[in-house]
Amino acid sequence: MQRRLANINIWTVAAIAIIAALFLPNMTIVTGLFTPSNENWEHMKEFVLWSFVKNSLILVVATAGSTIFIGLSLAWLIAQYQFPFRKFLKWALILPLSIPPFIGAYTYHGIFNYTGVIQSTLRGQFNMELNPVYFDIMNLPGAIFIYTVFLYPYVYTITQVFLSQQSASLIESTRLLGKGPWRTFFQVVVPISRISIIAGASLVILEVLNDYGVVKYYGIQTFTTAIFQSWFGLGDIETSIKLAASLMGFVIVILLIEKILRGKRQYSYSSTKVRPLPLIRLTGWKAFAAAGYGFTILALGFFIPVIQLIDWTILTFGTIPLDEFMSYIKNSVFVAGISAATIIVFSLIVGNFARLVHGRLAKLLPKLTVLGYSIPGAVIAVAVVTAFVALDNFLAPLYQLVGTKSTLVLSVSLILLVTAYIIRFFAIGYSSIETGYDKIGTDFQDASRLLGAGLTRTFFKVDMPMMKGAIISGFILVFIDVLKEIPLTLILRPFNFDTLSTKAFQYASDEKIMEASQASLLIVGISALAIVVFYKFLEKELD
Amino acid sequence: MKKSLYLILALLLLVLAACGNDDAAEQKDETDGNEVNLYTARHYDVDDELYKKFEEETGIKVNLIKGDADELLERIKREGDATEADLFLTADAGRLYRAKEDGLLQSVTSDLLDEQIPENYRDTDQMWYGLTKRARVIVYNQDTVTPEELSTYDALTEDQWNGRVLIRSSENIYNQSLLASFIEIDGEEQAKEWAAGLVKNFARDPEGGDRDQAKAIAAGIGDVAIMNSYYFGQMLNSEDAAEVEVAENLGIYFPNQDTTGTHVNVSGAGVVKSAANKDNAIKLLEFLSAPEAQGTFAEANYEYPVNSAVEPSELLKSWGEFKEQDIPLSSLGDNNAKSILIFNEVGWK
Repeated sequence: MQRRLANINIWTVAAIAIIAALFLPNMTIVTGLFTPSNENWEHMKEFVLWSFVKNSLILVVATAGSTIFIGLSLAWLIAQYQFPFRKFLKWALILPLSIPPFIGAYTYHGIFNYTGVIQSTLRGQFNMELNPVYFDIMNLPGAIFIYTVFLYPYVYTITQVFLSQQSASLIESTRLLGKGPWRTFFQVVVPISRISIIAGASLVILEVLNDYGVVKYYGIQTFTTAIFQSWFGLGDIETSIKLAASLMGFVIVILLIEKILRGKRQYSYSSTKVRPLPLIRLTGWKAFAAAGYGFTILALGFFIPVIQLIDWTILTFGTIPLDEFMSYIKNSVFVAGISAATIIVFSLIVGNFARLVHGRLAKLLPKLTVLGYSIPGAVIAVAVVTAFVALDNFLAPLYQLVGTKSTLVLSVSLILLVTAYIIRFFAIGYSSIETGYDKIGTDFQDASRLLGAGLTRTFFKVDMPMMKGAIISGFILVFIDVLKEIPLTLILRPFNFDTLSTKAFQYASDEKIMEASQASLLIVGISALAIVVFYKFLEKELD
Repeated sequence: MKKSLYLILALLLLVLAACGNDDAAEQKDETDGNEVNLYTARHYDVDDELYKKFEEETGIKVNLIKGDADELLERIKREGDATEADLFLTADAGRLYRAKEDGLLQSVTSDLLDEQIPENYRDTDQMWYGLTKRARVIVYNQDTVTPEELSTYDALTEDQWNGRVLIRSSENIYNQSLLASFIEIDGEEQAKEWAAGLVKNFARDPEGGDRDQAKAIAAGIGDVAIMNSYYFGQMLNSEDAAEVEVAENLGIYFPNQDTTGTHVNVSGAGVVKSAANKDNAIKLLEFLSAPEAQGTFAEANYEYPVNSAVEPSELLKSWGEFKEQDIPLSSLGDNNAKSILIFNEVGWK
């Protein structure tokens, strides 16, 4: 123990520095909890708060439930069975993640509304005038549907990687003991994948709590709506911060529940050889049903919206010059890449710290960094701008020395935007890395240390090779998330810096969803490409 | 190993810093003193075209940050005196009022602006200038409603409209400004009664945008909708044939013609208090209110010009002339918070 502590200094220092940097801007939010309530707060409490909270709870619980159901069942099918198109579905099922939920929401509304393809066809071809209420998806169930089909991959990816690689021997033993598929599923698979399920589902929950685009367009009042209303509508930032702080409190409760559910159990390799699970071949209707299930989900979360986007793109093609798109693409890929890389490096440092240092505080500290994900993007934006303007003022004498005219240097640069992305999306990269560390455990680490290798050497020689999968999946997830991000990018980008998502959002917010389709399609295309490329890489690594 | 870790971090920061300042710095050098930094909440393509034209004519480079009006305001506020912003442009008078109240704008004088923009579309202290107008009109199903049945916004709260009225959510600034104008004209109590009366007559819970209300009429969900005039123009000229069809079957009605006039809101802009390029900002304002730009707004975006020397487009003219609400536009901002509270109280989602 003594030896261990003595050796981890640089890791500890780096980890704590990162945690502090990520957490400090959020402190402005925490302090809001303790300000006295004013009349706006009382007004909200009296008239609207309860319905906001209720809507948010319904959205979160229903979406978490349905994404777990879909994500886990798909992961299990892919990990356990052989059926037609399995290889394709294995990676293609991640594709819905490439569609920003707000674009998905607009697209589905476009399909289902009165002038959309379904009702138009029914009217035109079949002369059927059905009650349009049946096609209305701009309500709570509609929003749950949107979140589910576009966010389930968070549960699916994490669980599938876990099931395919780690649990092989456990599941095999169960099979040998003669248990049927259902009992295996409920008595073994569900309990052992608990960590990945919870990790995936908490990402989904945070994403839903934070979303503004879908609920705003669909006219659903949620907790996030309340934050925006009190801040921008009433011009009352105190009430808004109070609400944001309550939201953060809620997220802390979720994280604590996760911790408790996970308990002291640790599942990690017990042998050095990680064997993939031998697949059971499905035949006949079962094979058909398995493939059909996968394709249905994939159609809902990817093909149908993409076809609609393509259709709109054709309708509006040429309205935006192509060379403009090149710069949007360049900007988008650049900020997404650099943010994802930084987050992964930071996550590795913090994750290693959490794994090796014992004690409750060390386990709790890294959790704080996840909070950035719980705060609405606009709130983070202001917290980050405040911090950077202060930093610039502090550095002003230095700037003058160099001879810049302006006193704002950092706060008008891309560094500001990238920092905000890192605070906002750290949770995504970190949870992937954390799951990775959980998986490899500390046995190999201990062995390496016993053999005399230093901590850092062990990290690069022993841990890193085993972490490749987690690193790559973390990178993809963050990359795609940044590509799709909206409020932060809108508020914090430097002059003349447009990305694909700002472009898509601007058209969409002017109710020009058809014009928005071109940029949207490019976001989807690049994200999908990232998924394919990294997935192929991952496959090769794992073989 | 320690070293390499630091090295990686340092490199990352360096790359970031380089990239971050690269573009901005270069542009600065090229156009130093010959640029204008615009924070705008309008994202129309036609605006971009006008900026390009301005650059060609004057050689002044227009740097843009587009975003939500409130968020841009918050950004200017936080950046304080050091803000890069020279001009703040948005699509709602209420937000211009708020910018003024928060001390973010400065008073400017320009004979050309005074000449091109009538007094009622300017701030009393010359802090901001209106650039385009849009009216919040009633559109109706021509099969089930005759224009004779329509009269005022108030009349829509009567029993005959029960279950027939469509309008978007109260979160939308256009609705907030509409109610704010009623607070100004009729007082808070009566405005609240109106809001409550309209909620009672809703055909459905508010959802979607302005265009969606028009489509809901076509779908038979309701018979009348309150929406912005320029959305109606956009639907008539949509690439989507189905949308055009919907719009063609609707009638457009300007309410309150015999009383207080149709509610009108403006897009407008103000020079930021600590603007480094104040002169260029004024030049841009002058350009945008000049006949050529005003004509473009009307033709391409179906907005009404503020410059009275400019004729509205053919389409706008075909809708006929109308009497506008005659209130100080700043009252829209003044009453904004009150209208939100009223919306919450009467349960207008």
